Amino acid sequence: MATEQRQHEESGDHERDVGPFTRWVQSSIRNPQRAYRAMFYVLMIFFLLTTLFPFYWLLVLALTPTEALSNIGLLPNGFNPGAFVDIFEILPFHVYMFNSFVIALASTVMVLLIGSLAGYVFGRFDFPGRGALMLILLTISFFPPVGFILPLFQLFTGNVNVLGISSPMLFNTPFAVLLPAGALYMPLSIFILTTFYRQIPDGLEDAARIEGTTRIGALFRVIIPLSAPGVATAGVLTFIYVYNEFFFSYLMTNGEAENWAPILWGVLGYQTQYTAQYNLMAAASIVGVLPVAILVVLAQERIVSGLTSGALKE
Amino acid sequence: MATEEQTESGVQRSSGVYAGIIRWVENLDDSRFAYLLLAPAFLLLAVIVFWPLLRTFVISLQADSLSGATAYGEFVGLDNYIALLTGQLDGVALPSPFFNLSQPFQSALIVTVIFTVVSVVFETLLGFGQALVLDQDFRGRRWVRVAIIIPWAIPIVIQGMIFYLIFQPGIGFGVDIVQAIGFSGTPLTDSAEALAIITLADVWKTTAFMALLILAGLQSVDRSLYDVAKVSGASKWQQFRMITLPIVLPTVLVAMLFRTLGAARIYGLIEATAGCTTVPSLSCLVVTTFSTRRYGTATAVAFVTAALIGIAAIFYVVLFARSEEGV
Repeated sequence: MATEQRQHEESGDHERDVGPFTRWVQSSIRNPQRAYRAMFYVLMIFFLLTTLFPFYWLLVLALTPTEALSNIGLLPNGFNPGAFVDIFEILPFHVYMFNSFVIALASTVMVLLIGSLAGYVFGRFDFPGRGALMLILLTISFFPPVGFILPLFQLFTGNVNVLGISSPMLFNTPFAVLLPAGALYMPLSIFILTTFYRQIPDGLEDAARIEGTTRIGALFRVIIPLSAPGVATAGVLTFIYVYNEFFFSYLMTNGEAENWAPILWGVLGYQTQYTAQYNLMAAASIVGVLPVAILVVLAQERIVSGLTSGALKE
Repeated sequence: MATEEQTESGVQRSSGVYAGIIRWVENLDDSRFAYLLLAPAFLLLAVIVFWPLLRTFVISLQADSLSGATAYGEFVGLDNYIALLTGQLDGVALPSPFFNLSQPFQSALIVTVIFTVVSVVFETLLGFGQALVLDQDFRGRRWVRVAIIIPWAIPIVIQGMIFYLIFQPGIGFGVDIVQAIGFSGTPLTDSAEALAIITLADVWKTTAFMALLILAGLQSVDRSLYDVAKVSGASKWQQFRMITLPIVLPTVLVAMLFRTLGAARIYGLIEATAGCTTVPSLSCLVVTTFSTRRYGTATAVAFVTAALIGIAAIFYVVLFARSEEGV
């Protein structure tokens, strides 16, 4: 194709009286591949601009000094990186971030431990009720969280009595967010793990059993190490989902950093001040995006395979 | 551990509860062993999902308790649902009308349906575009993919914050742009305009999800089909219509189903941009009635929301079954 293009360009040199656009159109008609190529680049640039421009503008807003905060253009009116320091001084933003990390990591560990067992069973065993149980899991992942919020709220605030014992006070602890958020995203992880466990050849498991490992030993020493990519995929997705979660993060804490409120409350915190601290909101948003942005760059293969295998299998 | 495990069919006696448990597990048949390993997952779901769902339904059959002495009033059967669907609760138990309609439940329903349909349609179209771009071989493809995925991966609250700032009068560049197409100067305080902005924000964030699923569908197409088409003189558009679309359609439907179910529960994005009083969705309605302690009403709305989502799911499943047969 490259040689063809060169030929067209050469022939274009002979017709110097026509403009470059006409020349391009003529050569495109002769060679439609070129037009498709151009369309492709236009589309690609359009998508890159629309996805990335809001982040660039956020950075411009964050770098604009407080007194110049009006009609922000393409470049900041001034340069004030201090906003990235101020966000940590006005609110304990680092504590909110720490809380979010703890909640997201803990629910990832929970989902992987419990989900691995379930994924292993669904991937490698055939037993009565298998289809029905998987269907139940699928249904759960569709249910809106508003369907559970009220009883869960009562459960976590110690207002439910079971045999005279009131439920533990989990409100304002990390569990109030990580249990429901983890449980709601667990079915997706189970589906991902099921597909990975299914791909492991039976022979390896049998060999391990003959070597004298127990069933559970075979799971932890043979199956899980072999399905490490699947476990990593489920882990990355669960972390991202819980870190990004809004519903329970918003309703299951009172928003105080010392009460395990996640990053959501930090980002919204600059909104309720008397002065409108738009540059701080922007700076906090950028800092809050960084962990997941890094994760996407490092683990994009995992994310892509996880989303597609988790969603398209059933 | 390894020495104790070399028990032969559990005859060997070994001391310790731990070894006893191991032996018991080893002697289970396959089905029992499977149920045992599934137990933790379903136990967690029982506490966090099944019990609350059942409880939600039971509460929805009880009247609101306004005295505050008890959490709920007397058993009223399906009265909450009847009152909700016939509009008797409007302005009494439900917050006064938000949208340009006179009934809060219907306006919440309309907001949710408009948001869901419009955002899913745009996400599908743009997602197809993104998938077609990512399906090409070119240098830097990896980085383009990262750029497209990043909006999908950011927290909802930050997505909301970005669009809140973009459409903040005097701050964001978005206000001038939407004013040019006839919006007011404060678009986030007007219900219809804010709904449009929220839809845009959702399209911006979740198109990537559609794109990745559609891309997986595109990559399952056998490339030699295109060569055959080229030889027989089919244009690019014909190739797309006759080869790509029929093969990718089931995948697209599954992706649309997932997005529809996700979009129909919209709550956080609204709370982080315009607020639930400006753009009430069904989930918003549940939270606002819940926070005024009208538990009977809140749970009835929650259950109706779940039922509507279920109906949407069935609709897609039927379409999916047809498209599979049609191939």
